[in-house]
Amino acid sequence: MIGYIVRRLFQLVIVLIGVTILTFAILFMVPGDPARVLAGKDQSPEKLAIIRHHLGLDKPVYVQYGLFLERLAHGDLGVSYQRQRPVRQMIWEALPNTVQLAVWAVLIELLGIPLGVYSALRQFTFWDTALTTSALVVWGIPVFVLGLFMQWFFGLKLGWFPVAGSGGDAILWVIPADWTNLSYLVLPAVTLGIIEVAYISYMQRASMLEVIRSDYVRTARAKGVPERTVVMKHSLKNAVIPVMTIAGLDLGALMGGAILTETVFSRFGLGLMIYNAITARDLPVVAGGVLFATFVFVIANLVVDIGYAVVDPRIRYE
Amino acid sequence: MTDTTSPTSFGAPQPDSPLSPTAANEVPTTRPLGLWADTWRRLRRNKLALVGLGIITVFMVIGMSQIIAHLLGVQLTPYDPNGVDYALSPKGLGAPPSATHPFGTDYLGRDVLSRTLVASRVSMLVGVIAVAIALVIGLSLGPVSGYYGGVTDAVIMRTADVFFAFPYILFVLLIMTVLGPGFVNVFIAIGLLSWAGYARLNRGSVLSVRTMEFIEAARAQGASDLRIIFRHVLPNTMAPVYVAIAMGIGGAIATEAALSFLGIGIMPPDASWGSMISNYLTYVPAGSWWMEFFPSAALVLTVFGFIAFGNGLRDATDPKLKE
Amino acid sequence: MGERLLEVTDLSTHFFTHAGVVKAVNGVSFSLDRNETLGIVGESGSGKTVAALSLLRLVPDPPGKIVEGSIVLKGRDLLTLTEDEMREVRGNDIAMIFQDPMTSLNPVFKVGWQIAEAIMLHQGKGQREANRMAAELLARVGISDAARRANEYPFEFSGGMRQRAMIAMAISCNPEILIADEPTTALDVTIQAQIMDVIREMQGVYDSGVIMITHDLGVVAQMADRVMVMYGGRTVEYGPVDEVYYNAHQPYTWGLLGSLPRLDEVEKQRLTPIKGQPPNLLLLPPGCPFCGRCPYERPGCREAFPELEIVGPGHGVHCWIPLDERVAIREKLPHFMARVA
Repeated sequence: MIGYIVRRLFQLVIVLIGVTILTFAILFMVPGDPARVLAGKDQSPEKLAIIRHHLGLDKPVYVQYGLFLERLAHGDLGVSYQRQRPVRQMIWEALPNTVQLAVWAVLIELLGIPLGVYSALRQFTFWDTALTTSALVVWGIPVFVLGLFMQWFFGLKLGWFPVAGSGGDAILWVIPADWTNLSYLVLPAVTLGIIEVAYISYMQRASMLEVIRSDYVRTARAKGVPERTVVMKHSLKNAVIPVMTIAGLDLGALMGGAILTETVFSRFGLGLMIYNAITARDLPVVAGGVLFATFVFVIANLVVDIGYAVVDPRIRYE
Repeated sequence: MTDTTSPTSFGAPQPDSPLSPTAANEVPTTRPLGLWADTWRRLRRNKLALVGLGIITVFMVIGMSQIIAHLLGVQLTPYDPNGVDYALSPKGLGAPPSATHPFGTDYLGRDVLSRTLVASRVSMLVGVIAVAIALVIGLSLGPVSGYYGGVTDAVIMRTADVFFAFPYILFVLLIMTVLGPGFVNVFIAIGLLSWAGYARLNRGSVLSVRTMEFIEAARAQGASDLRIIFRHVLPNTMAPVYVAIAMGIGGAIATEAALSFLGIGIMPPDASWGSMISNYLTYVPAGSWWMEFFPSAALVLTVFGFIAFGNGLRDATDPKLKE
Repeated sequence: MGERLLEVTDLSTHFFTHAGVVKAVNGVSFSLDRNETLGIVGESGSGKTVAALSLLRLVPDPPGKIVEGSIVLKGRDLLTLTEDEMREVRGNDIAMIFQDPMTSLNPVFKVGWQIAEAIMLHQGKGQREANRMAAELLARVGISDAARRANEYPFEFSGGMRQRAMIAMAISCNPEILIADEPTTALDVTIQAQIMDVIREMQGVYDSGVIMITHDLGVVAQMADRVMVMYGGRTVEYGPVDEVYYNAHQPYTWGLLGSLPRLDEVEKQRLTPIKGQPPNLLLLPPGCPFCGRCPYERPGCREAFPELEIVGPGHGVHCWIPLDERVAIREKLPHFMARVA
């Protein structure tokens, strides 16, 4: 087990380095000359040269990358063009709201597991068909379209929740401490969560169906194990394993969905921050935000992988 | 058809799938069907998948005809999609659906149906081209990686890992920010990022097919490595790829819509469903729902079609799934 | 032999599918005594595994259903039991060893626990006691270092070891009847003999009856006292092994025996496989399922299934060909294992 963790950590480092290389490469490809952008009115060659030297643009590529990496190591993600503030600080400010959204979306998403199991056990019945069809339909709805709909229906038409914005207090970033906080949380979280639930429940059902038909489940029945135990013990563990991996990878989609959801609901957070930066062509913020999110994603996947290894003994030996 | 749900209910596992009644004068025997016929048979029973296929077909037809019309400079819509007519937009809020304008008109009096049809062009192009780019890259690197193994495999797969490490939409957004908005950039961004999925998918299949005997047979006949990969290995590993393509096109269309919605995808005068959804948003509180509704419905329907069909295809080609 | 343990009469198990009704088991009858081994022989699709699963009422429903018959185990008809009562029987009175040990063990639970589970279930022992017994059982089936092995997962076992573990699981509650469904098909030939030895040994220890399902006539010759030949869901011939092997009366049995290579032949002969394909179980004729492949078919074979005909001590056959004709045909078969004396 320890060996497995060490190997995964090693892999993680390699991947993260690769991520920085790729990000740097993308940034390097920005068309246009940043020196000119910063120079402003005075575009004299001398001034441009000074600016270039200041930005380190006159050094060879690998040195620039080295500088980039070094700054990253110190947590320095650059400074926003637009707001002249350190990106790191902006991220830190925007983080709590996004974390809250993500956590609740995941909690809602986990409902997909019992739904999928239930559906699988009731295969061929009305409920199964209904649930599976709804899951497929909902899964296909682009998240921003669903968000708009929720906004219109529950916000505008029914007036149950505010249409946009964020605010209120929360405990440990996540738990709403007052109605304001909760009211701003519900629609975005449900939007994100429902699409994920649809996906997870569909996958869980498929996995469970396969497990229920497996030889080892048949062996359990042949031993005289009560059906309840066959399902809850013998099947469930096996059925959840692939879904764990899927859910982990799906976090990436969740992050993308978070941007769209925050934008639709004008909900302050990492996603909205990135969106505003994109509109303003504020590259440091975009790059910094994406890089940060990627690191989080990679580490989250590591955690999922370790959890996976705890549940499935076969993985530890790979 | 072994309709038993227990894999071993008839003793040793059967390599062929028994089916097909034979001529009346013989006792019917078991006979294996071709891969495609069997897939189609299973697909036919999945109603959702069939609906999906229907939607995809409609979408393809509309999209293709719009593309061709555009290339020929011909208008293939009931009205001019850019035809401004203030008379058709009382109070600047457009006119609701009517007999003459089934989808209504927008705030400039333009026919929403025509605009929706024309916008399908973008979705179609994005879906197909972006996925094609990803396929070309992925289907070259994947089999090579799986076939040669060793260092080549390690390098390619680590690179794929790096691409996978980025949350998809964020990565696309980053590239779009760097490259700037526009038609071509969208293809590049989406296509460039999706290759890793196809490569990995393919590599897995190639790895398992590589050791099968008929590859040895080909090599014994003197076939070169490249030939072996692309002529012999690849065709046998394509089933999951087709599924991925179907889902991929759906995903690409949704991604482009999201990009355009955020304002960094397609730029005017080109219109995509995403940009329409974004533009017409402000008119909804005032009561003009149709401008927002129809492009949204078109988008949702199309993406659903690809996903439903993709899932159906996956179920139909899954050897483990018994009916 | 010992007391009669099992009496199966007219068992019929059908599968109701989209495409029609598959009569996987069609009016099959057999019996099993204590300390006796019954071999059930047939090719894929003959219904032998479904018959075995029917004994344990493990046929997936839907789409399968036992539509007719009785399965009497020591006086009780299993088909009349409630599900709870049936669960008492499974793993306890009747135990089954499945074909593919790779997939028949749950990959995420330790082997020892999987064996112990049956013990805890049926014998009411506590976890620790059951674990200890499980380790003992593993040792008894020939797994060395059993205590350590019991704490391992199935993927750490080799194929042969897994099958031994399955046997240990099956015998854990001293079952009266042990059903082995092609226990060695998925294993190396070298392991086969060992597994057969283990099964035979366990049978001796527990005085059980064994039902050995196989397509391998060699296994039947080795292990079984009596044999039942199935085809297309029906029994076509049954009897003591020697009787059936030397005195076979059914054309299908001839085909099976004739397709065996023989080591004692002086001249090299060609192997004669049975011509044709296994039948499509959706479209079986009402008569003998071997029609269409039987070289001696005659009018009437297709219409009705032949009645039981006793042709020797404990030896029955279902065939429309009149007895004397059969004997005559058999005499002329080149590969037939005729009685030497």
